[in-house]
Amino acid sequence: MTDVLTAGEVVARIKKNLDVPWRESSKRDTFKFGGPDTVVKGIATTMFCSYDVLRRAIAAGCNMIIPHEDTFWNDPDDISVVSGDPSYQPKVDFLRQHDMVIFRIHDDMHAQKPDFTYVGLARALGLESKYETAPQSHHFTLPETTLGEMAANFQKRLNDKAIRVVGDPKCKVSRLQLGVGYATPNINSPDVDVVVSGEQQESDGMLDSPAYVLDANTLGIPKGWIMLGHCVSEQQGMLEMAQWVKSFTPEVPVQLVPSNEPFWAPK
Amino acid sequence: MHSISRRRFVSLAAAGVVAAPTALKALPSAGALTAQDVVDRIKKNIGVDWKSDSADTFKAGDPSAAVTGIVTTALASLDVLGQAVKAGANMIVTSEPTFFAHADTPTPPARRFPRTAGAPPDAAPATPRPPDLVFSAKDEFIRKNNLIVWRFSDHWRQRTPDPFAQGLANVLGWSKSASGDPRQLTIAQTSLDALVSHVKQSLKSRGGIRVVGDPKLHVGKVAILPGSTPIQASLKALPAVDTILAGEVREWESVEYVRDTIDLGGKKSLVLVGRIVSEEPGMQLCATWLKTIVPELKTSWVAVPDPYWRPTV
Repeated sequence: MTDVLTAGEVVARIKKNLDVPWRESSKRDTFKFGGPDTVVKGIATTMFCSYDVLRRAIAAGCNMIIPHEDTFWNDPDDISVVSGDPSYQPKVDFLRQHDMVIFRIHDDMHAQKPDFTYVGLARALGLESKYETAPQSHHFTLPETTLGEMAANFQKRLNDKAIRVVGDPKCKVSRLQLGVGYATPNINSPDVDVVVSGEQQESDGMLDSPAYVLDANTLGIPKGWIMLGHCVSEQQGMLEMAQWVKSFTPEVPVQLVPSNEPFWAPK
Repeated sequence: MHSISRRRFVSLAAAGVVAAPTALKALPSAGALTAQDVVDRIKKNIGVDWKSDSADTFKAGDPSAAVTGIVTTALASLDVLGQAVKAGANMIVTSEPTFFAHADTPTPPARRFPRTAGAPPDAAPATPRPPDLVFSAKDEFIRKNNLIVWRFSDHWRQRTPDPFAQGLANVLGWSKSASGDPRQLTIAQTSLDALVSHVKQSLKSRGGIRVVGDPKLHVGKVAILPGSTPIQASLKALPAVDTILAGEVREWESVEYVRDTIDLGGKKSLVLVGRIVSEEPGMQLCATWLKTIVPELKTSWVAVPDPYWRPTV
């Protein structure tokens, strides 16, 4: 018995080791395939539980996947939305054939102090804590540079092929507000020159940052908006997550199986 | 706080963007069309039932003012407003919000995320936050120039055929291939790579294009989904086409759906051009249509450059 690790036991240890009480109300942080009784041979953390990630996880001996995002192309993983599509059943068949188990961790991962995703992204972007205005503010005052240089530096660090930037590349910028995924901070804070994040609705939302940056620049106010892509922005935190899970599941191998950036961009 | 440098301010003033001479409000004279008259003509001619709960309302200015000319645009940016003033047009018809949010009001919404971890959101700050310079400068520019801004989005896209898809098909040179519905086209077969280059050039895209799929993929059937596309629309469109050409999607939805479909052997792809860019040709078409229903007025379309750029590796 002692040498068998179940998915239920892994989840129990995750809950126990988290610094914050588990949010039982979260509809995101639940089993999406398989269940607590599935025997775990190895654990893979990843951003998106894509078919490609599943194949690579199995090749690496990992049948338990801990993704940050959805598996079936909608946030609540509502099967009724996707089950009629030709791509749904083959993905499920693969999961079943390889006795896989998927447990998503999203809300509780963001609730952890510090949040794994911010730690991972700040590390990858080279945003040192000495520049952070206040601990866990995700607000950095950096040596002044231009928006163009900053974006080029981040693109190089992350090898981010589809990075997108709004704002005059020659803008002098220093104060950076970091966001991750779709949790993109508003660009209109007076103490923020640049917002760096994953993804955000382009317009008709809570604050339409691209339109705001265009008008700010027209008025001579230096502002910039750097979108890394949802996957790229949070992937780094899944490496932190893998290391953390590894620390309390010594019985099995644990690794990050990265979801590669989905996009390419034309020249 | 930011301040606008003197030099920058002077150059903006010269360009007519800031501190333009206060225009005299055009008073409706006998026979002159008011902004409300223009909207009434639109409602009468659009061929779509008008909904009371809609974003298509006046966002700024006086609906009873006489219209001197109309500018249509995908985004009523300060730059576009300045071009309208120069062209002598005081009514702007825009598909996207003017005041940087769905709420579309001259005061900014509360900040979405608390600054300090664990602190409550600062929706009701102890002291009122200073006015947002960009919101107030835009509001002031609109007032000083007596501009009228009206949003035209929900109803325009309800028209058949969809003017946003039709506009893109026209600009991409595919309108002859459309057999009725421009949202699904059969084009001369090409590679995904070549198609993307063509789209980039035709839409004058700078850095807003992102693609999922094999560049060598043969593409002949295209779904055109301008604006914002939810997963349900992608699921409906993808099986019958080789590629979806869309404005924006949610990355955890359509991007991952197309990625999985490809990895499972599907010969599919997704081309995202950006929401504003995807709505540009539809607003160009809107100017053409307005000329037919408001022939008394000068109507023109003002382009918005692709907001995005990308560093060159």
